[in-house]
Amino acid sequence: MQAPCKKIADTNHSLLLLITAGLGWAIPGAGYWFIGQYKRAIIVFVTITLTFTIGIYVGSIGVIDSVTATPGILGRINPWFLAQVLNSAFVFLISNITASGGYPVYGKPEEIGQLYTSISGLLNLLCIINCVYAAHTRYFSVGAEDRC
Amino acid sequence: MLSKAVIILASFTAPEQVGMNAKTMLWMLPLAAAIAGIYKAVKLHEITLKSFLKEAAVLFASIVVFIIAAAAALSLITYLATE
Repeated sequence: MQAPCKKIADTNHSLLLLITAGLGWAIPGAGYWFIGQYKRAIIVFVTITLTFTIGIYVGSIGVIDSVTATPGILGRINPWFLAQVLNSAFVFLISNITASGGYPVYGKPEEIGQLYTSISGLLNLLCIINCVYAAHTRYFSVGAEDRC
Repeated sequence: MLSKAVIILASFTAPEQVGMNAKTMLWMLPLAAAIAGIYKAVKLHEITLKSFLKEAAVLFASIVVFIIAAAAALSLITYLATE
């Protein structure tokens, strides 16, 4: 299946890159799917989703905590949350549920859950950046028309 | 069906029991596999099942070996410092 090159190439450059990044953030791998790299999209989706799911299974949804009790450099924003939110917009929904403080988690489960969810978020950031770069080189570099 | 879905969702609301023993180190394996898989998915120019699995397995093994070597070195330093 060929990506809709002509349609995409006619769109504004920045807008296309923003849509690619936004899709990659909303659903892991969706950015790759949008630019026609379906195998990469499936691998990214499965891996990121599985890693994030393992994280919240071990540590419970309590590891998604946007506010920290002790203010730091970022004020009351939990630094772990900045990495976790890169997984998907869905993380905001979970943080709303856990904001009440009804899902306490401590010790090893918290550590492992935070590591899994945060690292999967950072891996998704890597994918988003790579995906945007791939979209740029595919549709807007010299000879892009030949590749479509 | 609904009760099964509720049970599955409920398992995400309470943390699992994770001990403080050597087996806890095994939790690094799925994470190392995820890192290897994503890195190779991003890096490989052409993705085929065989090449992807091979490259990801090599990177996974490299990460695990390096972590074991780092753990051994740190243990040795701790042992020498506390003896």
